[in-house]
This record gives sequence, structure tokens and C-alpha cells, in this order.
Amino acid sequence: MIEYSWLAIAVPLASSGLLLLLGRRSNAWGHLLATVASAASFVVGLLVLLEVMGRPVAERVIDVPLYDWLPAGDLSVEAGLRIDPLSLTFVMLITFVGTLIHVYSIGYMAHDRARRRFFAYLNLFVAAMLVLVMADSYALLFVGWEGVGLASYLLIGFWNFHTPNAVAAKKAFVMNRVGDMGLIVAMGLLFATFGSVSFADVDAGVAALSTVNSPMLIATGLMLLLGACGKSAQVPLQAWLGDAMAGPTPVSALIHAATMVTAGVYLIVRSASIFDAAPTAQLVVVVIGAVTLLFGAGVACAKDDIKKSLAGSTMSQIGYMVLAAGLGPIGYAFAIFHLVTHGFFKAGLFLGAGSVMHGMGDDVDMRRYGALRKFMVVTWLTFGAGWLAIMGVPPFAGFYSKDKIIEAAFVGSGWQPWVLGTVTLVGAGITAFYMSRMFFMTFTGKARWVDNADLLGPDDRRPVRHPHESPAVMTIPMIVLAIGAVTLGFLLSLGDGIVGWLEPVTGHVDHEAHPPVLPVPVIMGVSLALVAVGILLAWRQYGRNPVPITPPTGSVLTRAARQDFYGDAVNEAVFQRPGQDLSRTLVYADTAVVDGAIRGAAEGTVGLGQALRKLQNGMVRSYGLMILGGFVLIAVVLHFVRM
Amino acid sequence: MNSFVAPEIQWAALSPILVVVGAAILGVVVATFVPKTSRRTVQVFVALAAPLVALVLVAWRWSVVVGGGESTLVAGQLAEDGPTLAIQMVLCLVALVGFAVMASRLPSGEEAFAPQGAAAPGSPYEEAARKAGLEQTEVFPLALFSLAGMLVFPMANDLLVLFVALEVLSLPLYVLTALARRRRVLSQEASLKYFLLGAFSSALFLFGVALLYGFSGSLGYADLGTAAEMTVGMDGMAVIGFLLVLVGLLFKVGAVPFHAWVPDVYQGAPTPVTGFMAAATKTAAFGAILRLLYVAAPGFGWDLEPVLWTVAIASMLVGTVLAIVQTDIKRILAYSSVAHAGFALVAIATLSPSGPSSLIFYLLAYGLATVGAFAVITLVRERDAEGNVTGEATHLSQWAGLGRRHPVLAGMMTLFLLSFTGIPLTAGFVGKFVAFVSAVEGGAWPLVVVAVVASAAAAFFYVRIIVLMFFTEPEESERPGSDAVTPGALTGVALWVCAIATVVLGVWPTPVLDLLAQAAKFVV
Amino acid sequence: MSTLPWITVLIALPIIAAALLWFVPALHKVARAYGLVVSLVVVAIAVAMATQFDVADAARVQLTQTAPWIPAMGVSYAVGVNGLGLVMVLLAVGLVPVVIASDWRAVPDDDADPALVARRRATFIALLLSLTGLMVAVFAARDLFLFYVVFEVMLLPVYFLIGMFGGPNRRAAAVKFLLYSLAGGLVMLVGVVVTFLNGPGGEQGFLIDNLAGVIADPTMEKWLFVAFFVAFAVKAPMWPVHTWLPDATAQATPGTSTLLVGVLDKVGTFGMLALCLPLFPNASRWAAPVIVVLAIVSLLYGALVAIGQQDLMRFIAFTSVSHFGFIVLGIFIGSQVALTGAMFYMLAHGLSIAGLFLLGGFLTERSLEGGPTSPQARRIAAWGGMQKVTPILAGLFLVSGLASVALPGLSGFVGEYLVLIGSFPESIAAGVVATLGVVLAAVYFLLVYQKVFTGQPSEEIAQAAESGRITDLSARERWAMVPVVAAMLILGFVPGPVLDLLTPISQVLAMGGAQ
Repeated sequence: MIEYSWLAIAVPLASSGLLLLLGRRSNAWGHLLATVASAASFVVGLLVLLEVMGRPVAERVIDVPLYDWLPAGDLSVEAGLRIDPLSLTFVMLITFVGTLIHVYSIGYMAHDRARRRFFAYLNLFVAAMLVLVMADSYALLFVGWEGVGLASYLLIGFWNFHTPNAVAAKKAFVMNRVGDMGLIVAMGLLFATFGSVSFADVDAGVAALSTVNSPMLIATGLMLLLGACGKSAQVPLQAWLGDAMAGPTPVSALIHAATMVTAGVYLIVRSASIFDAAPTAQLVVVVIGAVTLLFGAGVACAKDDIKKSLAGSTMSQIGYMVLAAGLGPIGYAFAIFHLVTHGFFKAGLFLGAGSVMHGMGDDVDMRRYGALRKFMVVTWLTFGAGWLAIMGVPPFAGFYSKDKIIEAAFVGSGWQPWVLGTVTLVGAGITAFYMSRMFFMTFTGKARWVDNADLLGPDDRRPVRHPHESPAVMTIPMIVLAIGAVTLGFLLSLGDGIVGWLEPVTGHVDHEAHPPVLPVPVIMGVSLALVAVGILLAWRQYGRNPVPITPPTGSVLTRAARQDFYGDAVNEAVFQRPGQDLSRTLVYADTAVVDGAIRGAAEGTVGLGQALRKLQNGMVRSYGLMILGGFVLIAVVLHFVRM
Repeated sequence: MNSFVAPEIQWAALSPILVVVGAAILGVVVATFVPKTSRRTVQVFVALAAPLVALVLVAWRWSVVVGGGESTLVAGQLAEDGPTLAIQMVLCLVALVGFAVMASRLPSGEEAFAPQGAAAPGSPYEEAARKAGLEQTEVFPLALFSLAGMLVFPMANDLLVLFVALEVLSLPLYVLTALARRRRVLSQEASLKYFLLGAFSSALFLFGVALLYGFSGSLGYADLGTAAEMTVGMDGMAVIGFLLVLVGLLFKVGAVPFHAWVPDVYQGAPTPVTGFMAAATKTAAFGAILRLLYVAAPGFGWDLEPVLWTVAIASMLVGTVLAIVQTDIKRILAYSSVAHAGFALVAIATLSPSGPSSLIFYLLAYGLATVGAFAVITLVRERDAEGNVTGEATHLSQWAGLGRRHPVLAGMMTLFLLSFTGIPLTAGFVGKFVAFVSAVEGGAWPLVVVAVVASAAAAFFYVRIIVLMFFTEPEESERPGSDAVTPGALTGVALWVCAIATVVLGVWPTPVLDLLAQAAKFVV
Repeated sequence: MSTLPWITVLIALPIIAAALLWFVPALHKVARAYGLVVSLVVVAIAVAMATQFDVADAARVQLTQTAPWIPAMGVSYAVGVNGLGLVMVLLAVGLVPVVIASDWRAVPDDDADPALVARRRATFIALLLSLTGLMVAVFAARDLFLFYVVFEVMLLPVYFLIGMFGGPNRRAAAVKFLLYSLAGGLVMLVGVVVTFLNGPGGEQGFLIDNLAGVIADPTMEKWLFVAFFVAFAVKAPMWPVHTWLPDATAQATPGTSTLLVGVLDKVGTFGMLALCLPLFPNASRWAAPVIVVLAIVSLLYGALVAIGQQDLMRFIAFTSVSHFGFIVLGIFIGSQVALTGAMFYMLAHGLSIAGLFLLGGFLTERSLEGGPTSPQARRIAAWGGMQKVTPILAGLFLVSGLASVALPGLSGFVGEYLVLIGSFPESIAAGVVATLGVVLAAVYFLLVYQKVFTGQPSEEIAQAAESGRITDLSARERWAMVPVVAAMLILGFVPGPVLDLLTPISQVLAMGGAQ
């Protein structure tokens, strides 16, 4: 089956192409085809997974060559698939969650005239994402990398007849391109050093290198990190994710929570050999992760838009993963572990949010929610599961994956473990706070809406809503994801669990040999305590006390966080406006200077002509004089030449 | 005091010239005795037959002479060799088409020349002459005389003969210039200028001849050549002498700074005459220059090269720059001919061995395009309010939209203009190319660079005419509207000959180039 | 190896067909159909020819023919193609039917006299057909003189195409185009003459093979290189001699612009590859650093200026300036991979530019404000929300645009990727700076796409769409674009066959040897 693993990519790709080609003709059944296609590639993935699991550990990394893609002489790139525990983990996550979200979308997009196109894009995304994770070379990975970027662009801008959505989509694509630039440079450096961009050759090449931390490797690592930052919305390329919430909620769930945004983590783990050989780069990775972890959490606390708050949370959770990936071999597996569990519970949370919006007339402002528990029970329960999972409350999934990262952060010597450990702990606390805030504002407390306009008093700003539970086609995926959020952590850590499963890629690490600087029980206790504190604070402010429907001014920090800590302002001031000015200047210069120079020459010639013309005055005498003068002149010239 | 020896006269070699001269005299007789009804017909027949016969005879001489038969004639007064015959061939060809254009009438029966050259412009006498439908058929003998002079020009192997030929070719042209049917004042003014300046340059020429005689004690090229080797010390005088003689010839060529007459005369003269004059005079004069430089003055090559360089560069630049600012199509072509004199000089600026053949090819290409272009100009006419055809529409703006209404005619004009520009697959390109090759062979690549810059700039005004013809709608202007008349049979033929020849020489120049290659050798 | 004079047929057939069309009034009424048929026949012949080409030996010039032309001047009619020539020939002839089908309405029925309109149509088609033959000739010329002749003569049909069938300022644009190209060409002419005189001479003295590397004197070699390079830089067009291009494309019909930028400008880069490198190998190496810098300047400059454009066609022109920067970078950076990329880029850019110009043309044909070539119709700001009105047009435009900004999976990516990656071993700095272009590309294209296609369409457009005055692409327009977009996708996923044609050449050139 392994040699047919390309089917997993081909099927959704074909279905996507078909839907786009047939256009309206496939409106009736397009969504079904797309869902089946996604499910089919899940089945393919599953079969491959089982086959690989059947193999001895040593033989679980398989390269499946497909065809000569870029036979360009010195650089000859073969399109091939890398089947190994890492890629298969992703395949499972992508296709499983992906399929669920296809199903969910059938209901969520039921009333959209362009639903068929939406599903075509979703399929396109699945295919591209699978290319990304199954590629056996950076070149092919890059195809998926930009492919998902395109899909994300198309889906964020799915409703691009609202200009803001179009702008958001463009912003996402451009900022991703900045990251992609990093990836291209990295590939260039790899080609310059190792003469190849395939994982196998690069790993071999790095292994052959004698020097550790060579400038080239550091540069490569940092460039890869830049790429990762772009995709995974890590500081400093984080600004697009919030706006990306303009896309339909299923998109936010699939692309901007569960899968695409975690590609950066995948890239770092996939490039383990490079980072392990470039500790300096690793340090930067860790720092980026830590910063984003707090940055995202801060944003999540301040937003009243449920999706943007979740986006902040995603940023922050990916910060955890990046941080873990930056810790090197001890962290890789945990990064992936958290990535998977996060994929489930965050997708679940988003779908829940979508379900709430569905019931609340697409309103995203949590300050106009409240007391929705009894109106949408399933949503409440599933969302609750996700809530507990992300906070890391045992025995929910997040507990297993996140605490591992926190512990790993405490491993090491010098200042590093203390700083990182503290950051991760604080992050856990904040996570608890903002998630509880979200949960309470949405489901508990008093309703900050009315179901009957007559109840509205004067200058009463409460909206009129008729909340209702979503149809089964939407709730079932939510339930499935909720189950995952509850059990997955436990399941994946059974035996040597996912860590052992990933060893062929991440390498074996004897965790006993790397004890944290604090005893594990202490760390666990502290983190749980902080979580409890977070929940309590949130309860005090948003659960027990009524939530004002108009946001209070809030502290400086809050206001900054509402503005995403002025990320956009910075980008505008540093890149956008200077760029526009430069462009405007050049446009002017192009006509005035570059073209002007030549036009000037032409006009000069004409002027000269006009001047010479005066000699042609029609007077024979002056003509005769001209002849004589000419003769004399030449004679003189000749005289000097002869001397 | 040596006794006079009657020179042996090689009649065969002189036959082409004799035919033309004879035809001219015949023409005079015809003008006098043949009744008015058939006079013009006869004249035209004679005028066209003469160059044709001459052409045949030249071809015959070629077969006899080229490849060993070169010799000097009439006691070394004349020389018959490849270059001479080649030049004469070009002359006969150009004359043939040129005369055809001269001879043809408009559909209205109007011809290009004044009914009575002697009549004062605007005088009742002139009016009467027009009413009487008089025709100045002396035009044709005059043209033939001029042609005869031109045929002698490249043959002349003696300064005095050269001078006589110069006058023989010039005087008829002065008269022809004065005979335009319309814009007569302009025409006569042009004629007078041409005459006065021509006389002036002839004087310079003679002065040069005198100096050279003083230098070498002879007027024969051969002796000049040898004297150049022998004598020492007096060569300053010789150089000035040569310079003055060159001035006389460069004046005819219309090279800067001896070009001042060109625009006024080209504009004033009857257009068919302009075409003939532009093409033929240049050719003849260059023929003379060739012989002078390669036979008489090789010893002074080192001294004269700077002259040629200066004049070539000046002609190319001044001609081009001034053409850019013109608005009258005849003046544009006049200045372009100045520029082309420069381009042609590039070929021989270094006296390189391949120079003559390149130059001659260039002259052929230029001559065909010139006669053709001026022929087209004769057809583009103004219309007065009643829509009657009147004078030529020579203002550029009047050429707007010609391509839409007369694609073929405009296409031909375009072809000639492209040949002037030197676009590949036209004769003009091959001409430029061989000229450049000769120059670079002689190491004159800076000259070629200038030439290239000039051609680039020149392209502008040629292209502008194409833009007007094809890309522009005739807009409302204070000038009377214009339209092209259907060409008379003769002009039509001439046009097609020029057009086809221009293309053929551009696409398949091999035969001509081979011929010229054989004819490179000068006889001393 | 091949019995038929394939290339000569490809050159002669369209030119003869053009002459026939122009001189036979009976054909004028069916000019467009006639042109379409002829061009399709030409495509068929070209494909048949391709099958005769020995891919295994792609670096060698094949399907050759040599005959004396002007032996007196050492000129011969010598044609033949190596892998690159074959690819360019196929691109050139392949685009012609697409252009004819797309520019179906390029000649409006504005004149009362139908015969006059028919003749103008016939002229338009005749010019396109004659251009086809010349394009084949220029990519197949193996004789320096022949190359120069075609190089110059090619200008005329384009000059007339722009000058007769363009927008309001077409005259100035046409003249500017012609004068720029002529000036460049004349500089080259000096080079041609000097090179020839330094060559072996003889009746085949102009054969490029006989001239390769004949220049002994290094100083002269440098001068000659410059003479040739200037001509090609103007054609390409490179900064700072690019300003004729935006003017030309802003006025020309979309079809003309397509052939102009998609094929004719490639003659510039083709000349660098087929003449500069083999004839003056040492001078090429000597000049490379400067040229690389120029290329990078063009690359960034073009992109930045494109961002600020108001006119759709000018915008596309400037993106091309940027793309040619990439190509020239690939040619002169001196890496075999980058060279391969540059050659592939020439093909890919031909496709994406065709997509952009022609779809842009379809868009402007739907303008309510003025004729398709009018500045109003081409003003970017005049549009908005067209995705809602013309989804297929929008989708195809997006694909073409993404191909031109080198999205993986589309043809544009392969060339750009190879150029960039190939540059790093030679100069990391150059590679990094050039990579900035990737980001700018995303900015300029998505910006324009956003302005034209997203948001809400204006009131008038919405009403016009209601009343069916503005409709999505017609069947003709769709079928015209199918081959282009299909080629973009196929070449994006399986560029192998084409790369196999190009790689051997780059391997020869990279060794500094002559072809």
C-alpha cells in the first residue's frame, strides 16, 4: 500500500480540480464528492499507517520515489514521498480532522450559493497539506507549503466581496510569502552547501559535517525558522492570523487552528538534523516560541471576538510547540504530541464557536452572548471538553501533552530552564484565564441578548437573538472531536505512546537522563495551581459578575492587547508606508528621470536642428561664405593634422 | 616645344557617351523641326531610347574591358575600367527611370514643366502660353546633355576634362531647375542660387586645378600620381590643390559644409528633375571623386583622409539633425541626401580596396530609392475647392492617411523610406552594410559608430512619414486637402522598377556584388 | 536526420500565407478564420518537427539547413534549432492561434465602409502571420547576418501592429518602440561587422559556429560583447532601457502585447544565450558581475514600479521587467542550474504573460467607459468586484497571475526556483536579494487582483451584468485560454520533458564553451 500513498494526495486534488472545472454543474453533489474524497484519503492514510506499524521500528522510514520533477543537471529534484511516523501522524491528523470539518461544513455552508467552490478549496487544501507533510525534499515540501498558502488565501477571502476579507486574505498570503522567502533562502544555502535539497541528502550532509554551529547552518536554521514563523504566525510574522478569522469558521478550525498553522512546527522537527547541529539557531527558536506563547495568550485575553480570541490562543499554543521543538531531541516528540492533541481540541473549540455563531446570527462578540448553555447543550458540552483539554486539566488531552512540554522546558542547565519553565507555567495560567473567560462569557452568566424585541428598554444595546442548537451534521463532528479532546492525550501516551512511535524520526532520548531542574511533581502541581488560579480569576470577573455589553476601557496592557500589541502599526510604519513611498517615488522617477533622460536627448537634437536651421537663411552670399569658410576650416584642420 | 600628335580615339569606348550626346543634339533638332503634335512623343522616345542604348553599350564595354581590357583612352585623357563602367551603368539606369518620371503627365494632361521657361512668372505671356498648351520639350535634350556630362565625369583621367564634364553636366541642370510649372518664383530662385554657387565652386575647383598643375606640371592623373611620389617639399601646395578640387566635387555631392544649396534647389526644382539630379549627380560626382582619390591622390591619402572623415561626419550629423526639424517632404529628402552623401563617404574614407565597390552599390541603392521617392511625391497632389488637382502636396501634414486610401503607393513610399533608413531586406541596408565593412576594414570604426548613431536618429524622420501615411487620419488643417493621382504609365513603370529593384537588391544582392567585385581595379 | 526542410517551411508558410491574404481581396472577409487555420497548421507542422528532434542530443543544433545566400559577403541561409531554439519556436507558433482567437475583435467595425474594415482586419492578420514566420526564423538562425536581418525586420510587423491597431497614443508608442529597438540593433550592427571581419571570412564567414570565440584581442572582445548586449538589453528589456515597453503595451492590443513581451522580448535573452555567451565567452565572464547587478536592479525596480501602476497593461509590462531581471540573472550568474532555470523561465513567462495580457484584454473589452484599448478601460481603479460578475475570467486571471508570481505547481515556479536556488552557490548575496522579488511579486499581483476582482462591483457594472451587457467569458474566449492555462499546469507539475531539452545546453554553456 505504501507505494500507493500518493493516492492520499491525488484523490482530493482530483476532486478539487473536477469541482472547479465543472462549476455550477456540480453544485448539487459537489460537497458530498469533496467529503468522500477527503475521507478516502483518510482511508489511504490509515492503510499506510497500519502497514508501517506492521514493520519493525528500523524500517519505518520509507522514501517513495514518484518521478523526476526538476532534472536540471547539478540540481535534480525527484518528486518523492517520505513515509515515516512523523508524516503519517500528520496525515492522520489532517485527513481525520479534515474529513470531520468537511462534514461540519456541509451544514455550516448549507446556505451559501458558492458552497461547491468552498469544498473545492477545502479539498485543494487537504491535498496541498498532504504534499507538505509527505514530501521527501524541501523543494516538494515547498510546493505544499505555498499550496496551503494559496488555499488559505482563497478560503480567508472566500467572501471577498467584502473588501476587508479580501485585504485579510492578501495580508495572510503576503506575510506567508515573507516566510516562504526564508524557506527559499534556506534551500539555496542547502544547495550551495550540500548540492541537494532532499531530506535524505541534507541529513547525510549534516551528519558528515565536522563543525557544529557553523555560520552556514545557523543561517539555514534561522531562515527555516523565518519560514516557520510565517506559516505558524509566530512573532514577528504573527499579524495575519487574527485577520484570517475573516474566513468561514470551518476554515479557521481546519487551517488556522488544527493543521496549516502547525506546519512551522513540522518544518522545524523535520529539519531536526540542521537545528541539532546549530544550537544558536535552536536558542532563537526557543525564544521565538516563548515570546509568541505569551504574546498570543495576551491577545487571547483581550479580544471580545470569540474567533480572534481563539486565534490568539492558537498562536500561544503553537508557541508552546515551537518552544518544545527548539529544545531539540527532548522536545520534538512533545511538540508533535501537543500539536496533535491541540489539533483536536482547538478544532473542536472553533467548531463550537462556529456553532454558537450559527445560533447567534453570525455575531462573534462574546459580550453579546451569555447563558447559552441551555440553548445549545451539545455545543456547551463539547466546547467544555475542549476548554478543559486546552487548560491541561487532567485527564484531558492537553494535560498530557502540555505538561510534557513544561517539564521539558525545565530541562537543561544555567538560566535557560528557569526562564523557559517559568514562561511555560505562566502561559498555562493565562491560558486557563482566557479560555475560562471565553467559556463563561459564552455559556454562563446572564444572557446579554433578548429573544423578543419588546423586552428591550430605552437605549438598550442588547441584540435580538434566537439561539438554537446546530443540526446533527454539525454537532456530530464536534462530538467526535470532543471525544478526542478527552481521551487522545491518554491514548497517545499509553505504553511508549507517540513518543516511541516518533523515535525513528526524532531519535531516541532517555528522558531519565535529562531530569528537569525541579522535580516533576512540583512542576505539575504548580502548573495545576496556576490553572486553578486562572479559572478563578476568570470566574470572578466574567462568571459571577455581570459582563458589561460595552467593553470597559481597560488597562494599558488590555488596550495594547486588543490592538494585537500594535503589530499592524509596526508593520505599517516599518514596511508598508516606506514601501509605498519608494514605489511612488520610483514610478515618478521612471517617467521623469529614466525616460526623461532619453526624451531629453531627443529634444536636444531637435533644438540643435532648430539652431542650425538659422544658417539656412536662403541667402546665396551666406551660402557662398559657408562654402569658403568650410574650405578654410578644413584646410586649417588639415594643416594641424599634418603637423 | 614638342609637336602635336593626333591622339588615337577609341570610338568604341566612347560609344555610350557619343550616343547620349547624339541623342541630345537630335533632341534639339526635333524641338526645332518636328511639328508640335508629335514633337513631345518623339522627344520622349529619344530621351528614353538614349540611356537604354547607352546602357546596352556600357554592358558590352564591360564584357570587353573588365578583366584585363582596362586602358586609358585618347592619350590618357579618359580611362575606361571597372569602376568607370559600373558608375556609368548606374547612371544610365537612374537616368532611364528618372527620364521616365520626367516624361509622364498627370491624368489631367498637365506635365511637370513650365509651358514657357522664358515667360516671367505670373505674366500674361505665361498665362497665354499655358492656354496655348505650349510645352517646353527642350527639357529632354537638356537632360541628355547633362547625362552626357555625367557619363564623362567618372571617366575623366585629366583635370581639364573633368572640369569640362563638370560644366557640361551642371549647366543643363541649372536650366532644368528653373522650369517648374508651379511655384515658379521658388523654382527660378533655386535655379539662380544653384547657378551662382555652382559657379563659385567651379572657381574653387579651377583654382585647385591650377595649383595641382603648378605642383606636377601636368593635368593628367597619372602624372599627378607619379609626381606625388617624386616631389618633396611642395606637397603642401598639392594638398591644397587636391582639397580645392575635392571641394568642387563634394559641392556636387552635396556634402557638408558645401551642402547649403541642396535643400533650396531640391525644393525649388521640378520634382522629377530633383529625383534625377539627386540620384545621378551624386553618382557621377562620386565617380569622379573615386578616380581622383584612388588614381591621382593615393600618395596623399594620409593627408586627405582627415578631410574625408571630417566631411563624412559633418554630413551625416548635420544632414540628419536638420532633416528632423523639416516639415516639407522635399526638404526632408534633400537633407537626407546630404546625410547619405556622408554615409557614402564612409565607404571610401580610408581608401580601402573594397571601398569603390561598396560605394557604387550604395549609390545604386540610394539612386533607385531616391528616384522612386520623388516619383511618389509627384503623385501626391493638392485639391482646390472644386476638387481639381493642383500643385504637389509637399507639406508633411498633407500626407496623413495616404496609406488608408492608397495602400500600394504608400507601401512603395514606405519601402523607399525603409531603404533610406537601412532596414534589412532593402537595398539600402546592404549598401550601408558593405559601406561599413569597407570602413572597418580600413580601421575607421569610429566613423562607423557615428554613422550608426546618425542612422538611428535618421530613422526618426523617415519613420515619421510612415506614421503619417499609415497611423494618422487626415485632420482638418488650413492647408488644402490632398490626394494621390493615379500615376501615368511611365511613372508607374519607373515606380515598380525602383521598388522591385530595391527589394531584389536587398534580398539577393549577390549578382551585383559579384559584378562589382570584379570591377574593383582602376587603370592608371 | 530529417528529410523535410521543416524550419524553412515554418518560416515560409506563414509569410506566404500573409502575402496571399494581403493581396487577395477575396480573402479579406474571412481573414480571421483564415489566419486561425493557417496558424493552427503551422502549429501542427511545428509539433511534427518536434517529433523529429533528437532529445538525447539537445545541445546540438538539429534539423539544420545551410545554403549560400550572399557568398560575396560571407552570408549563408543557415537555420537549425537546439533544444532552446525548439522550445522558443514552439512557444512562438503556439501563441499565435491563441492571440488570433483572443484578438478577434481587435479591429473594430468603426468604419462605415465594410470593405475598408475587412482590409484592416486582413492587414492585422497578415502582419501577425508574417511575424510568425520571422519569429521562427530568429530563433532558428545559425548565421549571424541572418539573425541580424530577422532581428531588425521583425520590428516592422510589430511596429505596424502597434501603430495601426492600438489605443489613442499608439503612434508615439510605436515610434518609441521602433526607435529604441533600431538604435539597439544598429549598435549591434557595428558589432556584427567587426566580429565578421575578425572571423575566418570566406563564403560562410557569418556562420555563428565559425565565429564562436574568434576574437583574440580581449579589449575588442569586451567592446563587441557590449555592442551585442546593449541591443539585447533594450529588447529584453532591462533597466534602464525598458521605458519603451510600458508605453507600447499600454497602447497595443492585448494580442500584440502578448507576442511582443511573450516572444519578441525573449529574442533579447535568447541572443544573450545564443550569441553573447558563445561568441564572447571571456567578455561574458568579465561583464557578469555588472550585469548581475543590473538584473537584480531590474528585478526589484520592475516589481516596485509595478506596485504603483494605474494602468493594467503598464502594470503587466512592469511585472515583465521584473521577470526579465530574473532571466538575465539566471543567464549571467554563471551557474548551470540557474541557466537552465533562465531558459525555462523564458518559456514559462511567455505563457503567464499571455494569460495576463489576453485576460486583461477580455476584461477591458467588457468596459463600459471606453474601447478595449482606451486608457479608461485599462485603468485599474475603474474596476472592482469583477469576480462576482465574471468568475471564470477572475479565476483564470488568478491562475495566470499566480503562475507569473511563481506559485509552485505552475510553470512560473520551475524557472524562478531554479534561477534563485542556482544563484546561491555563485553568490549568496545575489540569491538573497533576488529572493526579495518573490515577496514583492505577491504584493503587486494580489494588490491588483484585489482592486479589480474583489469587493463589490460598481452600480453601473452590476446593472450591466443584470441586463446581460457584461457576461462571463464566451466560449471563444474560454477555448482561447484553455491551452495556455493547461500548459501552465502541466509544465508546473511535469517540467521534465522541457528541462531535458534545456539542461544539456546549460551544461555546455556553463563550461564556457560554445554551442
